[in-house]
Amino acid sequence: MNRHLLLRLMVATTLLLFSQLGMAIEANSSNKVLLEKKEGSSPSAIEYLKNMQVAYSQKNYEVLYLSSLQQQLEPMQLIHGNVDGQEVSYFRYLNGVIRESLQYAGKISYFEQGKPAYTLQSRHNRSIFANIAQFDYEQGKQSYNYVILGKGRIAGKQAIAIRMISKDEYRYSYVIWCDLDSALPLRLDTLSQSNIVLEQIMVVSLNVSDEINPWLLKLTQNTLPEMVHIPESTTDNSSKWKVTWLPTGFSVVKDDQHKLMMHENTPVSYILLDDGITNVSIYISKKQLFLDEKQKLIRRGATVLYTEQRGEIEINVVGDIPVTTAKRLVESVDLVSDDN
Amino acid sequence: MKEINEQLSSLIDNENVESSSLDALIHDKEQQSTFSRYHLIGDVMRNEAAMNIDISELVMAEISQQPTVAIVTPITPAQPIKAESNVISFVKRFGQYAIAASVAGVVVMTSFITSQPAVENSGIEVLNTVPFGGGVSPVSLQASKEQTKQALQKRHERLEALLKDHQLQLQVQP
Repeated sequence: MNRHLLLRLMVATTLLLFSQLGMAIEANSSNKVLLEKKEGSSPSAIEYLKNMQVAYSQKNYEVLYLSSLQQQLEPMQLIHGNVDGQEVSYFRYLNGVIRESLQYAGKISYFEQGKPAYTLQSRHNRSIFANIAQFDYEQGKQSYNYVILGKGRIAGKQAIAIRMISKDEYRYSYVIWCDLDSALPLRLDTLSQSNIVLEQIMVVSLNVSDEINPWLLKLTQNTLPEMVHIPESTTDNSSKWKVTWLPTGFSVVKDDQHKLMMHENTPVSYILLDDGITNVSIYISKKQLFLDEKQKLIRRGATVLYTEQRGEIEINVVGDIPVTTAKRLVESVDLVSDDN
Repeated sequence: MKEINEQLSSLIDNENVESSSLDALIHDKEQQSTFSRYHLIGDVMRNEAAMNIDISELVMAEISQQPTVAIVTPITPAQPIKAESNVISFVKRFGQYAIAASVAGVVVMTSFITSQPAVENSGIEVLNTVPFGGGVSPVSLQASKEQTKQALQKRHERLEALLKDHQLQLQVQP
Protein backbone atom coordinates (compact mmCIF):
# COMPACT_ATOMS: atom_id res chain seq x y z
CA MET A 1 0.00 0.00 0.00
CA ASN A 2 2.78 2.33 0.97
CA ARG A 3 4.64 1.56 -2.20
CA HIS A 4 1.57 2.45 -4.16
CA LEU A 5 1.37 5.85 -2.62
CA LEU A 6 5.03 6.47 -3.21
CA LEU A 7 4.66 5.55 -6.87
CA ARG A 8 1.72 7.85 -7.24
CA LEU A 9 3.75 10.64 -5.70
CA MET A 10 6.62 10.02 -8.05
CA VAL A 11 4.36 10.11 -11.04
CA ALA A 12 2.82 13.35 -9.92
CA THR A 13 6.23 14.94 -9.52
CA THR A 14 7.40 13.88 -12.95
CA LEU A 15 4.21 15.19 -14.42
CA LEU A 16 4.72 18.52 -12.78
CA LEU A 17 8.20 18.69 -14.24
CA PHE A 18 7.15 17.91 -17.77
CA SER A 19 3.70 19.23 -18.23
CA GLN A 20 2.98 22.89 -18.47
CA LEU A 21 -0.70 22.42 -18.33
CA GLY A 22 -3.07 22.90 -15.43
CA MET A 23 -3.75 20.36 -12.74
CA ALA A 24 -6.95 19.22 -14.32
CA ILE A 25 -5.26 17.62 -17.28
CA GLU A 26 -2.51 16.16 -15.15
CA ALA A 27 -5.02 14.42 -12.96
CA ASN A 28 -6.72 13.18 -16.09
CA SER A 29 -3.63 11.62 -17.57
CA SER A 30 -2.02 10.32 -14.41
CA ASN A 31 -3.89 7.05 -14.60
CA LYS A 32 -2.40 6.19 -17.93
CA VAL A 33 1.09 7.17 -16.94
CA LEU A 34 0.72 5.03 -13.88
CA LEU A 35 -0.04 2.05 -16.07
CA GLU A 36 3.13 2.59 -18.04
CA LYS A 37 5.24 2.87 -14.93
CA LYS A 38 3.83 -0.36 -13.59
CA GLU A 39 5.38 -2.27 -16.43
CA GLY A 40 8.60 -1.89 -14.56
CA SER A 41 11.89 -2.21 -16.35
CA SER A 42 10.64 -2.13 -19.94
CA PRO A 43 10.73 1.26 -21.72
CA SER A 44 7.78 3.59 -21.49
CA ALA A 45 5.71 4.58 -24.51
CA ILE A 46 7.56 7.82 -24.96
CA GLU A 47 10.92 6.04 -24.74
CA TYR A 48 9.88 3.70 -27.50
CA LEU A 49 8.88 6.69 -29.59
CA LYS A 50 12.16 8.46 -28.98
CA ASN A 51 14.13 5.35 -29.91
CA MET A 52 12.09 5.18 -33.08
CA GLN A 53 13.04 8.76 -33.96
CA VAL A 54 16.75 8.08 -33.57
CA ALA A 55 16.55 4.88 -35.58
CA TYR A 56 14.56 6.49 -38.38
CA SER A 57 17.16 9.17 -38.98
CA GLN A 58 20.36 7.25 -38.26
CA LYS A 59 19.96 3.71 -39.54
CA ASN A 60 20.55 2.38 -43.01
CA TYR A 61 17.42 0.65 -44.16
CA GLU A 62 15.17 -0.19 -47.02
CA VAL A 63 11.44 -0.53 -46.66
CA LEU A 64 8.64 -1.54 -48.95
CA TYR A 65 5.32 -0.31 -47.75
CA LEU A 66 1.70 0.17 -48.63
CA SER A 67 -0.34 3.22 -48.04
CA SER A 68 -4.04 2.69 -47.88
CA LEU A 69 -6.83 5.19 -47.80
CA GLN A 70 -10.37 5.00 -48.99
CA GLN A 71 -9.85 1.48 -50.25
CA GLN A 72 -6.95 2.42 -52.46
CA LEU A 73 -3.61 0.76 -52.01
CA GLU A 74 -0.38 2.32 -53.13
CA PRO A 75 2.88 0.39 -52.91
CA MET A 76 6.03 2.44 -52.35
CA GLN A 77 9.68 2.04 -51.54
CA LEU A 78 12.03 4.01 -49.36
CA ILE A 79 15.78 3.56 -49.11
CA HIS A 80 17.48 5.49 -46.38
CA GLY A 81 21.09 5.88 -45.38
CA ASN A 82 23.67 8.16 -43.88
CA VAL A 83 26.67 9.59 -45.72
CA ASP A 84 29.15 11.52 -43.58
CA GLY A 85 26.46 12.27 -41.05
CA GLN A 86 24.02 13.48 -43.70
CA GLU A 87 20.77 11.69 -44.34
CA VAL A 88 19.99 10.43 -47.81
CA SER A 89 16.61 9.10 -48.75
CA TYR A 90 15.39 7.75 -52.01
CA PHE A 91 11.71 7.26 -52.57
CA ARG A 92 9.64 5.89 -55.36
CA TYR A 93 6.21 4.70 -56.33
CA LEU A 94 6.17 1.10 -57.41
CA ASN A 95 3.04 1.16 -59.56
CA GLY A 96 2.11 3.27 -62.54
CA VAL A 97 4.14 6.15 -63.86
CA ILE A 98 7.70 6.30 -62.59
CA ARG A 99 7.93 8.89 -59.85
CA GLU A 100 11.01 9.11 -57.71
CA SER A 101 12.60 11.55 -55.37
CA LEU A 102 16.02 11.86 -53.81
CA GLN A 103 16.65 13.98 -50.77
CA TYR A 104 20.17 14.77 -49.67
CA ALA A 105 22.09 17.70 -48.19
CA GLY A 106 19.23 20.18 -48.04
CA LYS A 107 17.99 19.46 -51.52
CA ILE A 108 15.25 17.32 -52.91
CA SER A 109 15.15 16.21 -56.53
CA TYR A 110 12.10 14.89 -58.30
CA PHE A 111 12.14 12.57 -61.25
CA GLU A 112 8.94 11.92 -63.04
CA GLN A 113 8.47 10.02 -66.23
CA GLY A 114 7.63 12.35 -69.10
CA LYS A 115 8.50 15.50 -67.20
CA PRO A 116 11.74 17.36 -66.74
CA ALA A 117 13.46 16.51 -63.49
CA TYR A 118 14.20 19.32 -61.07
CA THR A 119 15.59 20.08 -57.66
CA LEU A 120 14.19 22.12 -54.81
CA GLN A 121 15.96 23.60 -51.86
CA SER A 122 14.36 21.91 -48.88
CA ARG A 123 15.52 20.92 -45.47
CA HIS A 124 12.16 19.44 -44.86
CA ASN A 125 11.94 15.70 -44.73
CA ARG A 126 8.45 14.72 -45.77
CA SER A 127 9.12 11.06 -46.35
CA ILE A 128 6.80 8.36 -45.20
CA PHE A 129 7.12 8.36 -41.40
CA ALA A 130 8.85 11.73 -41.21
CA ASN A 131 6.08 13.49 -39.34
CA ILE A 132 6.11 11.05 -36.44
CA ALA A 133 9.87 10.66 -36.60
CA GLN A 134 10.46 14.39 -36.15
CA PHE A 135 7.78 15.16 -33.62
CA ASP A 136 8.79 16.59 -30.28
CA TYR A 137 7.10 14.03 -28.05
CA GLU A 138 7.94 15.80 -24.80
CA GLN A 139 6.27 18.96 -25.97
CA GLY A 140 3.54 16.88 -27.53
CA LYS A 141 2.43 15.85 -24.05
CA GLN A 142 0.29 18.93 -23.93
CA SER A 143 -1.77 17.61 -26.83
CA TYR A 144 -1.44 13.83 -26.63
CA ASN A 145 -1.32 10.95 -24.19
CA TYR A 146 1.00 8.09 -25.08
CA VAL A 147 -0.12 4.60 -24.21
CA ILE A 148 1.38 1.20 -24.97
CA LEU A 149 -1.32 -0.91 -26.57
CA GLY A 150 0.50 -4.20 -26.78
CA LYS A 151 2.68 -6.31 -29.01
CA GLY A 152 2.05 -7.80 -32.39
CA ARG A 153 3.72 -8.85 -35.58
CA ILE A 154 4.18 -6.61 -38.61
CA ALA A 155 6.24 -7.38 -41.71
CA GLY A 156 7.51 -10.51 -39.98
CA LYS A 157 8.91 -8.54 -37.06
CA GLN A 158 7.92 -8.32 -33.44
CA ALA A 159 6.40 -4.92 -33.01
CA ILE A 160 5.02 -2.80 -30.22
CA ALA A 161 1.97 -0.64 -30.71
CA ILE A 162 1.84 2.78 -29.13
CA ARG A 163 -1.17 4.94 -29.23
CA MET A 164 -1.01 8.71 -29.33
CA ILE A 165 -4.36 9.83 -28.07
CA SER A 166 -5.41 13.38 -28.70
CA LYS A 167 -6.53 15.22 -25.61
CA ASP A 168 -9.08 17.23 -27.52
CA GLU A 169 -11.25 17.01 -30.62
CA TYR A 170 -9.02 19.23 -32.72
CA ARG A 171 -6.50 16.69 -33.90
CA TYR A 172 -6.36 13.08 -35.00
CA SER A 173 -5.03 10.26 -32.88
CA TYR A 174 -2.40 7.83 -34.09
CA VAL A 175 -1.31 4.27 -33.51
CA ILE A 176 2.38 3.77 -34.16
CA TRP A 177 3.91 0.31 -34.45
CA CYS A 178 7.65 0.07 -33.88
CA ASP A 179 9.96 -2.84 -34.58
CA LEU A 180 11.19 -4.15 -31.23
CA ASP A 181 14.52 -5.06 -32.73
CA SER A 182 15.51 -2.03 -34.84
CA ALA A 183 13.04 0.45 -33.27
CA LEU A 184 12.02 1.55 -36.77
CA PRO A 185 8.39 2.44 -37.42
CA LEU A 186 6.44 -0.32 -39.14
CA ARG A 187 2.92 0.93 -39.26
CA LEU A 188 1.03 4.15 -38.73
CA ASP A 189 -2.72 4.43 -38.40
CA THR A 190 -4.40 7.81 -38.42
CA LEU A 191 -7.57 7.67 -36.38
CA SER A 192 -10.50 9.99 -36.26
CA GLN A 193 -12.17 11.08 -33.06
CA SER A 194 -14.56 8.16 -33.36
CA ASN A 195 -11.68 5.69 -33.83
CA ILE A 196 -12.16 5.12 -37.52
CA VAL A 197 -8.93 4.42 -39.39
CA LEU A 198 -8.65 7.24 -41.94
CA GLU A 199 -5.28 6.35 -43.36
CA GLN A 200 -2.89 3.55 -42.85
CA ILE A 201 0.74 3.09 -43.78
CA MET A 202 2.11 -0.38 -43.38
CA VAL A 203 5.57 -1.71 -43.99
CA VAL A 204 5.59 -5.10 -45.69
CA SER A 205 9.33 -5.58 -45.90
CA LEU A 206 12.08 -4.06 -43.80
CA ASN A 207 15.76 -4.54 -44.36
CA VAL A 208 18.26 -2.94 -42.00
CA SER A 209 21.96 -2.98 -42.80
CA ASP A 210 25.12 -1.72 -41.16
CA GLU A 211 26.45 -0.27 -44.36
CA ILE A 212 24.70 2.20 -46.60
CA ASN A 213 23.21 0.76 -49.78
CA PRO A 214 26.03 1.20 -52.35
CA TRP A 215 23.59 2.30 -55.02
CA LEU A 216 22.25 5.03 -52.74
CA LEU A 217 25.78 6.16 -52.06
CA LYS A 218 26.38 6.38 -55.79
CA LEU A 219 23.29 8.53 -56.23
CA THR A 220 24.67 11.14 -53.87
CA GLN A 221 27.68 11.57 -56.12
CA ASN A 222 25.64 12.22 -59.24
CA THR A 223 24.96 15.75 -60.39
CA LEU A 224 21.49 16.86 -59.49
CA PRO A 225 18.92 18.14 -61.95
CA GLU A 226 18.39 21.83 -62.40
CA MET A 227 17.44 23.86 -59.36
CA VAL A 228 14.01 25.48 -59.28
CA HIS A 229 13.64 28.54 -57.12
CA ILE A 230 10.39 29.37 -55.48
CA PRO A 231 9.99 33.13 -55.07
CA GLU A 232 10.75 34.07 -51.48
CA SER A 233 8.21 35.89 -49.44
CA THR A 234 9.35 38.95 -47.52
CA THR A 235 8.09 40.19 -44.18
CA ASP A 236 6.39 43.29 -45.56
CA ASN A 237 4.50 40.85 -47.69
CA SER A 238 2.69 39.42 -44.72
CA SER A 239 -0.95 38.51 -45.01
CA LYS A 240 -3.63 41.04 -44.17
CA TRP A 241 -5.43 38.30 -42.35
CA LYS A 242 -4.84 36.52 -39.09
CA VAL A 243 -6.29 33.64 -37.14
CA THR A 244 -7.65 34.53 -33.74
CA TRP A 245 -7.80 30.94 -32.56
CA LEU A 246 -5.29 28.10 -32.73
CA PRO A 247 -5.63 24.54 -31.46
CA THR A 248 -3.12 23.65 -28.70
CA GLY A 249 0.34 22.98 -30.05
CA PHE A 250 -0.18 24.78 -33.34
CA SER A 251 1.71 27.90 -34.32
CA VAL A 252 1.83 30.11 -37.39
CA VAL A 253 4.99 29.29 -39.30
CA LYS A 254 4.37 31.25 -42.45
CA ASP A 255 2.26 34.23 -43.30
CA ASP A 256 2.43 35.84 -46.70
CA GLN A 257 0.72 36.82 -49.90
CA HIS A 258 1.61 34.88 -52.95
CA LYS A 259 0.19 33.64 -56.17
CA LEU A 260 -0.97 30.10 -56.60
CA MET A 261 1.86 28.60 -58.59
CA MET A 262 -0.24 26.89 -61.15
CA HIS A 263 -3.62 28.44 -61.29
CA GLU A 264 -3.70 31.47 -63.53
CA ASN A 265 -1.64 33.22 -60.89
CA THR A 266 -4.53 33.94 -58.56
CA PRO A 267 -3.27 36.04 -55.65
CA VAL A 268 -4.00 34.67 -52.19
CA SER A 269 -3.34 35.62 -48.60
CA TYR A 270 -1.72 32.67 -46.98
CA ILE A 271 -1.20 31.37 -43.45
CA LEU A 272 0.62 28.12 -42.69
CA LEU A 273 0.14 26.41 -39.34
CA ASP A 274 2.29 23.66 -37.88
CA ASP A 275 2.02 21.49 -34.79
CA GLY A 276 5.03 19.30 -35.48
CA ILE A 277 3.01 16.42 -36.80
CA THR A 278 0.68 18.03 -39.29
CA ASN A 279 0.34 21.26 -41.26
CA VAL A 280 -2.62 23.38 -42.13
CA SER A 281 -2.79 25.91 -44.95
CA ILE A 282 -5.29 28.74 -44.88
CA TYR A 283 -6.01 30.63 -48.08
CA ILE A 284 -7.98 33.83 -48.23
CA SER A 285 -8.95 35.11 -51.64
CA LYS A 286 -11.68 36.71 -53.67
CA LYS A 287 -14.77 34.62 -54.12
CA GLN A 288 -14.64 32.71 -57.39
CA LEU A 289 -18.05 31.21 -57.73
CA PHE A 290 -20.99 30.42 -55.54
CA LEU A 291 -20.93 27.04 -53.87
CA ASP A 292 -23.63 24.79 -52.57
CA GLU A 293 -23.47 23.86 -48.91
CA LYS A 294 -22.54 20.28 -49.72
CA GLN A 295 -19.68 21.36 -51.95
CA LYS A 296 -17.87 23.15 -49.19
CA LEU A 297 -16.30 20.13 -47.62
CA ILE A 298 -14.02 17.64 -49.30
CA ARG A 299 -12.35 14.81 -47.45
CA ARG A 300 -9.94 12.23 -48.57
CA GLY A 301 -8.43 9.97 -45.97
CA ALA A 302 -7.28 12.27 -43.21
CA THR A 303 -7.09 15.32 -45.45
CA VAL A 304 -9.80 17.91 -45.31
CA LEU A 305 -10.43 20.81 -47.67
CA TYR A 306 -13.01 23.16 -46.27
CA THR A 307 -14.30 26.30 -47.96
CA GLU A 308 -16.29 29.12 -46.48
CA GLN A 309 -17.61 32.10 -48.37
CA ARG A 310 -18.02 35.31 -46.49
CA GLY A 311 -19.38 38.19 -48.52
CA GLU A 312 -16.95 38.72 -51.38
CA ILE A 313 -14.16 36.63 -49.91
CA GLU A 314 -13.53 32.94 -49.77
CA ILE A 315 -11.54 31.13 -47.11
CA ASN A 316 -10.08 27.71 -47.81
CA VAL A 317 -8.48 25.46 -45.22
CA VAL A 318 -6.38 22.48 -46.30
CA GLY A 319 -4.73 19.98 -43.99
CA ASP A 320 -4.82 16.70 -42.13
CA ILE A 321 -7.15 17.85 -39.43
CA PRO A 322 -10.66 16.99 -38.30
CA VAL A 323 -13.50 18.96 -39.86
CA THR A 324 -14.26 20.58 -36.49
CA THR A 325 -10.82 22.14 -36.45
CA ALA A 326 -11.11 23.36 -40.03
CA LYS A 327 -14.46 24.97 -39.33
CA ARG A 328 -13.29 26.63 -36.18
CA LEU A 329 -10.14 27.92 -37.87
CA VAL A 330 -12.16 29.43 -40.68
CA GLU A 331 -14.43 31.14 -38.18
CA SER A 332 -11.45 32.64 -36.46
CA VAL A 333 -10.00 34.24 -39.58
CA ASP A 334 -10.08 37.99 -39.21
CA LEU A 335 -8.57 41.08 -40.79
CA VAL A 336 -5.37 42.36 -39.21
CA SER A 337 -6.27 45.72 -37.71
CA ASP A 338 -4.03 48.60 -38.71
CA ASP A 339 -3.42 50.07 -35.30
CA ASN A 340 0.35 50.08 -35.45
CA MET B 1 18.43 18.84 -70.45
CA LYS B 2 21.00 16.21 -71.29
CA GLU B 3 22.08 15.90 -67.73
CA ILE B 4 18.52 15.50 -66.62
CA ASN B 5 17.99 12.68 -69.04
CA GLU B 6 21.07 10.93 -67.84
CA GLN B 7 19.85 11.31 -64.32
CA LEU B 8 16.53 9.84 -65.02
CA SER B 9 17.81 7.01 -67.07
CA SER B 10 20.50 6.16 -64.58
CA LEU B 11 17.88 6.00 -61.91
CA ILE B 12 15.79 3.74 -64.01
CA ASP B 13 18.63 1.63 -65.35
CA ASN B 14 19.89 0.73 -61.96
CA GLU B 15 16.70 -1.00 -61.12
CA ASN B 16 16.01 -4.15 -63.02
CA VAL B 17 12.42 -4.17 -61.80
CA GLU B 18 11.62 -1.31 -64.09
CA SER B 19 12.06 -3.15 -67.32
CA SER B 20 9.48 -5.73 -66.43
CA SER B 21 7.00 -3.20 -65.18
CA LEU B 22 7.52 -1.20 -68.34
CA ASP B 23 6.78 -4.31 -70.36
CA ALA B 24 3.61 -4.74 -68.42
CA LEU B 25 2.69 -1.17 -69.18
CA ILE B 26 3.29 -1.63 -72.87
CA HIS B 27 1.08 -4.68 -73.08
CA ASP B 28 -1.69 -3.29 -70.97
CA LYS B 29 -4.12 -1.57 -73.30
CA GLU B 30 -5.96 0.41 -70.67
CA GLN B 31 -2.89 1.85 -69.12
CA GLN B 32 -1.50 2.49 -72.51
CA SER B 33 -4.31 4.77 -73.52
CA THR B 34 -4.04 6.64 -70.29
CA PHE B 35 -0.33 6.91 -70.06
CA SER B 36 0.76 6.85 -73.66
CA ARG B 37 1.96 10.41 -73.29
CA TYR B 38 4.27 9.34 -70.53
CA HIS B 39 6.00 6.59 -72.38
CA LEU B 40 9.68 6.82 -72.75
CA ILE B 41 9.59 7.43 -76.46
CA GLY B 42 7.36 10.40 -75.90
CA ASP B 43 9.67 11.41 -73.16
CA VAL B 44 12.63 11.57 -75.45
CA MET B 45 10.70 13.42 -78.12
CA ARG B 46 9.44 15.96 -75.70
CA ASN B 47 12.75 16.65 -74.14
CA GLU B 48 14.23 17.25 -77.54
CA ALA B 49 11.71 19.92 -78.27
CA ALA B 50 10.11 22.33 -75.83
CA MET B 51 8.82 20.57 -72.79
CA ASN B 52 5.23 21.69 -73.13
CA ILE B 53 4.44 20.19 -76.47
CA ASP B 54 1.33 18.15 -76.19
CA ILE B 55 1.84 15.10 -78.30
CA SER B 56 -1.06 13.12 -76.99
CA GLU B 57 -3.34 14.60 -79.59
CA LEU B 58 -1.05 13.42 -82.32
CA VAL B 59 -0.91 10.01 -80.74
CA MET B 60 -4.65 9.85 -80.43
CA ALA B 61 -5.16 10.94 -84.01
CA GLU B 62 -2.73 8.25 -85.04
CA ILE B 63 -4.59 5.64 -83.07
CA SER B 64 -8.00 6.57 -84.39
CA GLN B 65 -6.68 6.34 -87.94
CA GLN B 66 -5.55 2.81 -87.45
CA PRO B 67 -8.55 0.77 -86.42
CA THR B 68 -7.88 -1.62 -89.29
CA VAL B 69 -4.39 -2.36 -88.06
CA ALA B 70 -5.69 -3.59 -84.76
CA ILE B 71 -5.40 -7.26 -85.56
CA VAL B 72 -4.81 -8.42 -82.03
CA THR B 73 -7.95 -7.37 -80.22
CA PRO B 74 -11.16 -6.29 -81.84
CA ILE B 75 -12.26 -4.50 -78.65
CA THR B 76 -9.80 -1.67 -78.94
CA PRO B 77 -11.13 0.58 -81.72
CA ALA B 78 -14.12 1.83 -79.78
CA GLN B 79 -12.40 2.39 -76.50
CA PRO B 80 -9.56 4.76 -77.28
CA ILE B 81 -11.94 7.14 -79.03
CA LYS B 82 -14.24 7.30 -76.06
CA ALA B 83 -11.44 7.84 -73.62
CA GLU B 84 -9.98 10.47 -75.89
CA SER B 85 -12.01 13.47 -74.83
CA ASN B 86 -11.34 12.96 -71.16
CA VAL B 87 -7.70 12.23 -71.40
CA ILE B 88 -6.80 15.05 -73.68
CA SER B 89 -8.52 17.76 -71.76
CA PHE B 90 -6.57 16.65 -68.74
CA VAL B 91 -3.28 16.67 -70.54
CA LYS B 92 -3.90 20.05 -72.06
CA ARG B 93 -4.70 21.53 -68.74
CA PHE B 94 -1.61 20.19 -67.12
CA GLY B 95 0.68 20.73 -70.03
CA GLN B 96 1.16 24.38 -69.32
CA TYR B 97 2.23 23.93 -65.75
CA ALA B 98 3.77 20.55 -66.02
CA ILE B 99 6.69 21.53 -63.85
CA ALA B 100 4.69 23.19 -61.19
CA ALA B 101 2.20 20.39 -61.06
CA SER B 102 4.86 17.88 -60.35
CA VAL B 103 6.59 20.21 -57.93
CA ALA B 104 3.69 19.85 -55.65
CA GLY B 105 3.29 16.36 -56.87
CA VAL B 106 -0.43 16.17 -56.61
CA VAL B 107 -2.55 14.86 -59.37
CA VAL B 108 -6.18 15.61 -58.97
CA MET B 109 -8.73 13.79 -60.99
CA THR B 110 -12.33 14.68 -60.94
CA SER B 111 -15.38 13.30 -62.54
CA PHE B 112 -18.66 15.01 -63.11
CA ILE B 113 -21.28 12.78 -61.76
CA THR B 114 -24.57 14.32 -62.70
CA SER B 115 -23.60 16.79 -65.38
CA GLN B 116 -22.26 14.16 -67.70
CA PRO B 117 -23.64 10.84 -68.79
CA ALA B 118 -21.49 8.08 -67.46
CA VAL B 119 -18.67 7.14 -69.78
CA GLU B 120 -18.01 3.48 -69.12
CA ASN B 121 -14.35 3.75 -69.65
CA SER B 122 -13.51 6.89 -67.78
CA GLY B 123 -13.79 5.46 -64.31
CA ILE B 124 -10.64 3.49 -64.71
CA GLU B 125 -8.45 6.44 -65.48
CA VAL B 126 -9.83 8.27 -62.52
CA LEU B 127 -8.96 5.47 -60.17
CA ASN B 128 -5.53 4.97 -61.62
CA THR B 129 -4.20 8.37 -60.77
CA VAL B 130 -2.11 8.73 -57.71
CA PRO B 131 -0.73 11.63 -55.78
CA PHE B 132 3.00 12.05 -55.49
CA GLY B 133 4.94 12.99 -52.41
CA GLY B 134 2.33 12.21 -49.85
CA GLY B 135 -0.10 14.29 -51.76
CA VAL B 136 -3.78 14.36 -51.93
CA SER B 137 -6.34 14.01 -54.61
CA PRO B 138 -9.76 15.17 -53.72
CA VAL B 139 -12.75 13.09 -54.44
CA SER B 140 -15.19 14.02 -57.07
CA LEU B 141 -17.76 16.65 -56.45
CA GLN B 142 -21.42 16.22 -56.98
CA ALA B 143 -22.74 18.77 -59.35
CA SER B 144 -25.80 20.70 -58.36
CA LYS B 145 -28.31 21.37 -61.10
CA GLU B 146 -27.88 25.11 -61.34
CA GLN B 147 -24.19 24.87 -61.89
CA THR B 148 -22.84 24.64 -65.34
CA LYS B 149 -20.16 22.22 -66.24
CA GLN B 150 -17.70 25.05 -66.74
CA ALA B 151 -18.34 26.46 -63.31
CA LEU B 152 -17.71 23.10 -61.79
CA GLN B 153 -14.62 22.63 -63.83
CA LYS B 154 -13.39 25.95 -62.53
CA ARG B 155 -14.04 24.87 -59.00
CA HIS B 156 -12.04 21.70 -59.57
CA GLU B 157 -9.15 23.61 -61.00
CA ARG B 158 -9.21 25.87 -58.03
CA LEU B 159 -9.17 22.95 -55.59
CA GLU B 160 -6.30 21.42 -57.46
CA ALA B 161 -4.38 24.64 -57.29
CA LEU B 162 -4.96 24.91 -53.57
CA LEU B 163 -3.92 21.35 -52.86
CA LYS B 164 -0.82 21.66 -54.95
CA ASP B 165 0.12 24.91 -53.36
CA HIS B 166 -0.37 23.32 -49.94
CA GLN B 167 2.01 20.49 -50.82
CA LEU B 168 4.53 22.89 -52.28
CA GLN B 169 4.43 25.16 -49.24
CA LEU B 170 5.05 22.19 -46.97
CA GLN B 171 8.08 21.14 -48.93
CA VAL B 172 9.69 24.56 -49.12
CA GLN B 173 8.65 25.93 -45.75
CA PRO B 174 11.48 27.63 -43.85
